[in-house]
Amino acid sequence: MQQIHKPKLKYWQALEELEGSPEALEARAHEFKQGVTDDFDIQEMGGVSRRRFLAAMGASAAFALTSCKSYLDHGKVVPYNNQTEQIVIGRPTFFASVVTGRNDAASVLVRTREGRPLNLTGNPDNPFSQGRVSGHFLASLMELYDPERLQKPQKADGNSVTWKEADEAILKALQGDKQVALVFNRVMSPSFHQLLQEFQAKYKQVKVYSQTTFHDGMRHAAWKKSHGTDVFPCLHWDKADVILALESDFLGNESNLEIERLYASRRDVMSKEHFNRLYVAEGNLSQTGMNADYRLRLRPDAQYALVMGLLNELGSSASSTTLASVVKEQGLSETVLKSLVADLKASHGKALVYAGDRLPEAVHIAVNALNDLLGASALYRDEAEVHLMPATSAADLNALIAAMKGGEVGAVIHVNSNPVFDLPNDSGYADALAKVALSVTLAQRVSETSAKSTYVLPLHHDLESWGDYKLHTGLHLIQQPVILPIHDSRHLGGLFETWLKGDSAAYNEDLSLTYLQDYWQKQVYPKAKPLADFKSFWNAALHDGFVQYAEPVAKPGPFRAAALSEAKAPESGKEFVVLLGRSYATGEGELAHNGWLQEVPHPVTKVVWDNYAAVSVTAAKELGIKTDDLVTVTVGNRSLELPALVQPGMADKVIAIELGYGRSVAGTIGTGVGFNANVLLSNAEQTSPWILGKANLAKANGKHHLVTTQLHHAFDVDREQNLQFTRGIVKEANYQKYLKDPHEAEMHGHHLVNVTKMHTYEGVKWGMAVDSNKCTGCGSCIMACNVENNVPIVGPDQVNKGREMHWMRLDRYYAGTPEEPSVTLQVMICQHCDNAPCEVVCPVNATNHSPDGLNQMAYNRCVGTRYCSNNCPYKVRRFNFFDYRDRFAKSFYTQEVHQLQHNPEVTVRSRGVMEKCTFCVQRIMWARQEAIREKRPLKGSDVTVACQEVCPSGAIVFGDVNDPESDISKYRKHVTGYHVLEEVNARPNVTYVAKLRNTHA
Amino acid sequence: MQVANRPSSDALNSDGTIKDFAVEPSVVLKSPSLHDLTEVISRPIEAKATLKWYIALAVSASLLMLEMVCWGISFYYGSGMWGNNIPVAWAFPIVNFVFWIGIGHAGTLISAILFLFRQKWRNGIARFAEGMTIFAVMCAGLFPLFHTGRPWLPLYLMPYPNKHAVWVNFLSPLVWDVFAVSTYFTVSLFFWYTGLIPDFATLRDRTLGKDLISKIKKSVYSVLSLGWRFSNRHWRHYERVYLILAGLSTPLVLSVHTIVSFDFAVSGLPGWHTTIFPPYFVAGAIFSGFAMVVTVLVFIRYIFDMQHLITVETLEKMNKIILLTGTIVGYAYGMEFFIAWYSGNLIEQFTFINRAFGPYAWAYWIMISCNVISPQMFWFRKLRRSVPIMFVISIFVNIGMWFERYVITVTSLARDFLPSSWGWYNPTLVDFGLLLGSFGMFFTLTLLFVKFMPVVSIAEIKSVMDEAKPSHHGGDH
Repeated sequence: MQQIHKPKLKYWQALEELEGSPEALEARAHEFKQGVTDDFDIQEMGGVSRRRFLAAMGASAAFALTSCKSYLDHGKVVPYNNQTEQIVIGRPTFFASVVTGRNDAASVLVRTREGRPLNLTGNPDNPFSQGRVSGHFLASLMELYDPERLQKPQKADGNSVTWKEADEAILKALQGDKQVALVFNRVMSPSFHQLLQEFQAKYKQVKVYSQTTFHDGMRHAAWKKSHGTDVFPCLHWDKADVILALESDFLGNESNLEIERLYASRRDVMSKEHFNRLYVAEGNLSQTGMNADYRLRLRPDAQYALVMGLLNELGSSASSTTLASVVKEQGLSETVLKSLVADLKASHGKALVYAGDRLPEAVHIAVNALNDLLGASALYRDEAEVHLMPATSAADLNALIAAMKGGEVGAVIHVNSNPVFDLPNDSGYADALAKVALSVTLAQRVSETSAKSTYVLPLHHDLESWGDYKLHTGLHLIQQPVILPIHDSRHLGGLFETWLKGDSAAYNEDLSLTYLQDYWQKQVYPKAKPLADFKSFWNAALHDGFVQYAEPVAKPGPFRAAALSEAKAPESGKEFVVLLGRSYATGEGELAHNGWLQEVPHPVTKVVWDNYAAVSVTAAKELGIKTDDLVTVTVGNRSLELPALVQPGMADKVIAIELGYGRSVAGTIGTGVGFNANVLLSNAEQTSPWILGKANLAKANGKHHLVTTQLHHAFDVDREQNLQFTRGIVKEANYQKYLKDPHEAEMHGHHLVNVTKMHTYEGVKWGMAVDSNKCTGCGSCIMACNVENNVPIVGPDQVNKGREMHWMRLDRYYAGTPEEPSVTLQVMICQHCDNAPCEVVCPVNATNHSPDGLNQMAYNRCVGTRYCSNNCPYKVRRFNFFDYRDRFAKSFYTQEVHQLQHNPEVTVRSRGVMEKCTFCVQRIMWARQEAIREKRPLKGSDVTVACQEVCPSGAIVFGDVNDPESDISKYRKHVTGYHVLEEVNARPNVTYVAKLRNTHA
Repeated sequence: MQVANRPSSDALNSDGTIKDFAVEPSVVLKSPSLHDLTEVISRPIEAKATLKWYIALAVSASLLMLEMVCWGISFYYGSGMWGNNIPVAWAFPIVNFVFWIGIGHAGTLISAILFLFRQKWRNGIARFAEGMTIFAVMCAGLFPLFHTGRPWLPLYLMPYPNKHAVWVNFLSPLVWDVFAVSTYFTVSLFFWYTGLIPDFATLRDRTLGKDLISKIKKSVYSVLSLGWRFSNRHWRHYERVYLILAGLSTPLVLSVHTIVSFDFAVSGLPGWHTTIFPPYFVAGAIFSGFAMVVTVLVFIRYIFDMQHLITVETLEKMNKIILLTGTIVGYAYGMEFFIAWYSGNLIEQFTFINRAFGPYAWAYWIMISCNVISPQMFWFRKLRRSVPIMFVISIFVNIGMWFERYVITVTSLARDFLPSSWGWYNPTLVDFGLLLGSFGMFFTLTLLFVKFMPVVSIAEIKSVMDEAKPSHHGGDH
């Protein structure tokens, strides 16, 4: 300190420095001397230095200015008076928490900057997800900042009410003697489940329902009948050599993050373990079907016959259906089935048959019998899924509706649920609701149900809430808030406790936390048997986001043979069958308001912002239907007019329709997108509510243009077939041949020569590898990229013009015939070419190369000639034809709350500039800065890019290609590694691993 | 120099129309007197504008207004108002740019190259062709400027010292383009103006009225004529400068469109990446330019009754050039296909087959029929000399050449390397507005030019009169 005040004539500050002692040199390296940036201390004002005087003057002037009314940012820019504990300006803070969906929950790590959550990644410590997270959960960040989130308690017409008024009305109903129905989605929180039980104990007339459009109730019912237990074990997907998926999208819609990871671990060219072999029998072409080694096109109501045929073929006496008869009746490929039977026989204990959630109970029972025969119990883990509350059966829901109609129900409280939209029209839920004196919707945004409710009460977003979740045995997730509630919303748990206490004034923000801690102290702490005291245990659990403890699971009993004979075989027909499914984008419709999800292309068809009836090529030919034609789908007395999409690879007489569209009350973004196919659902008793036989398909008048990000493949133009192979875009080989001789799959092209000398990269050089064998095409990477890089939403009209802004594409290529296509997927992003064609043609040097091998964009310098895009062989550059944030949905996403969502580390691009994948340069720069700060060399493994971080199957590898030990170098050198369009000689830095198909050689 | 303020009777019929001169293979049909020539050329400038002119101006100025409105829309909302997308990031605006730059080439070729080759027949049309060059380059220049995403930053394309320490990228053909087009415009403008100086002096001397408007006119012409007094010294300097500028312009005829073709040829896109582009583009430019000159001249010689100055012989010579360059262009189309096949490059082959038989085949076959087939009519002397036929064919050629650029730009981009990124281009109303509007701009400028400046060079046309021949004796000058 003293030295600063006493000027010296010497140019050094100490002899040590003159002599060059390390301490002194280090001290000099610090920008500020100790004490200069100390807190302002009024006591020291006596000896005012020039610096302090200026500081005091500046502060006074600032205070004076803030009192001026016209100060632009008045009331918004508030510096910290006291430094908060965890927040350092400019540095992210991570919190472990949980985000939830209707049917599932994900353990996440929330990245916050200056107190606002900006990004999610999977929680890397969580043993199930291992740091992966799917696109839906990532997109839930948008919901936190959704300008149309409910901001205060209100009536259905939007007029605000007080919490007190609503609470008192609810309490009155609870204290009445009529039934009070609570309609939830899936209840996944054990502490809340206990609270509900306490609630029901106090208010006897309360009944709890768990209602979702899709659920796995039939699998569970069948399991119980087959094995006498409710506990459905988790599976060793990674130990199965042969997997047969029956109308199951276990890699897509029916996946959890674990299945994809375990499955992909058996598709790893770097691993010694052999590839698994995936057989898929399905009616629609699903994401899982695209990944199949062998695929059978089979209508969903014939699945039972197939399983029975397989049972018979494998020597079970329980079935008299011969496989040959099934082959004949359904026109299946005999060679594929022969290979399947041989594989199943050869892989006892290592083969798994998995039926989709939508298949009827009887199919599940038959599959259980088949698995029993195959010894699949060896693949059952000692862990099981946890279902706190079974999905309410249709009969129970019907009873509720009848009671509502009969005036026996005093109040209905919907918690995040939307039965008015979800339930079949013929159940008459909306009419019944009108007869109930008090209807309440607790939600984050308006819905068809809230529009018919007396009170609409806002709930906290996941990232504002306390809670706990349990989806698997032995793994208890904990949820903590990472931001104070933005609006006048409340904790779900807190609300129920308030009502439990019977006093509206009892609510406070800590109620949930207290209850949760109490529950954990009593229920979880003893189970976990930690060595520490509860406080340390609690803090550790919060830090980790979960606790793990041993929880024994009863082994499923042996298969009960009678179950199969008791099961009633589902009807199979020859007419059209409608297969309803959950939307990849909007789920059951609950995500329709999320523009990010609406704009992520469908994994198979690449359609955005819409749903459609997918019909087979043969049916389309027969009925003269072309894609975009309106068709009428009729099932019984219910019918729906919607556009058709001719989908290669579908079973002949199947119509596949995704639900989750056609919402009528879903805010600015979601309302009126697509067609409401829920009208096809029926209340009547049926083997599966989602597989509707005896349907009719007819061409209607008119067209509705379906917007896609990739043109429809024209199978009828010869010169356009197989271009992905002839042009060296996609490379494939047979896995069995590769095993015998890896050079069979030699993918490296010609040795290319440059006339000029190539630039040599010293130090770190960045590169990426995409393993086509692991990539299942889920599209989580696209969402992660959008969130990380502030990629704007452009809307269907602009996507239709070919102006989507996504930096990542998931290209889908068909080969083979339209009936039996083979599909290849390819992640396409900026290839960061060494000889980047874009760079030479930019007249203003706005796109150029960094010393570490990145193709960079200087947005400020870009004038927007678009020449770079023209010269890019991969067409991965995206141009801001408009100011999209301003243009989309009348500036919807420029509203104040939503601005908070933007990642401050990435420039928000203006109109007229080109943009593209940067390899998350902000993350690279951050890692470099940290390395410099810690005085160590930067390593490739210091950087994880956004797409890589979330990829559920770990298909994306990123790192330093100059480091021979890095994963990326191994992929680059691997025999199956290749670059797309090698002959163009752009020398890209994204290596693709050739797709190895595990078919018989 | 004789000065008169009313038309002489020799060249005109009693009703004011031009006398029917006997046909004779000469640049200027059997001579009116030199004085009458000055009269005929000056008449549109000095007489009151005709109704025909006003109607034409009203139409083209309206189109010009349309263009300005469309530019305004594009500037305000962004380039998203056009049909451009990814992959078709260049479309109508670039097509229009190349089209108009091509149109300009005829002017330079006629005024500079034919001048150097002492082709006397050019003298009747050189002035107009040069004017056309200037206007076409002006029409063209707007497109690349406003075509950028951020048109308020054109100075980034200039190599100027700046505090960002960023230089332009000299590897980029777009930078060459900036230099090529601006040089071309500057040299053409000077060339044109130099030729105009003696004529401005003539007009100055002919403006004798004492009213205010005449006085203003006279002052303007005086300033523009730079004190020209028709002295021998002036003529000597003039001839020298004109020769030098002709020499400077000559390489530009070849270089400008060569560099414009580099915008395409330097890229790696199949369908653009061909070495044949420079000669092919230059031939195409001359082809379209001559066609445009024919179209407009036929029109002008009709409106201003200049059939004897812009003779059928001159037009026929131009048609021969159209036939030649059209055939070169046709050869280039064929050669592109041959090379695509010969190279063995599958992607290149696909691009060309796709051009002819893919979704944009209609554009390709419009191009082929207009550019390759229609000029073949000019093998027949009768058709070559028929004004209505040449008018129709020249319009066909202009349509075809516009489509040539459309085919090259759009079809190559729409389906390039990765089938997954293939796209489709639909122009918007703003795109069409800009295309039509650019014609509005061109014709507005042309009409103003023919009203206020001598459309035929008074001085040069006289140099091909009998009187200018050394053997000539007598006469009144």
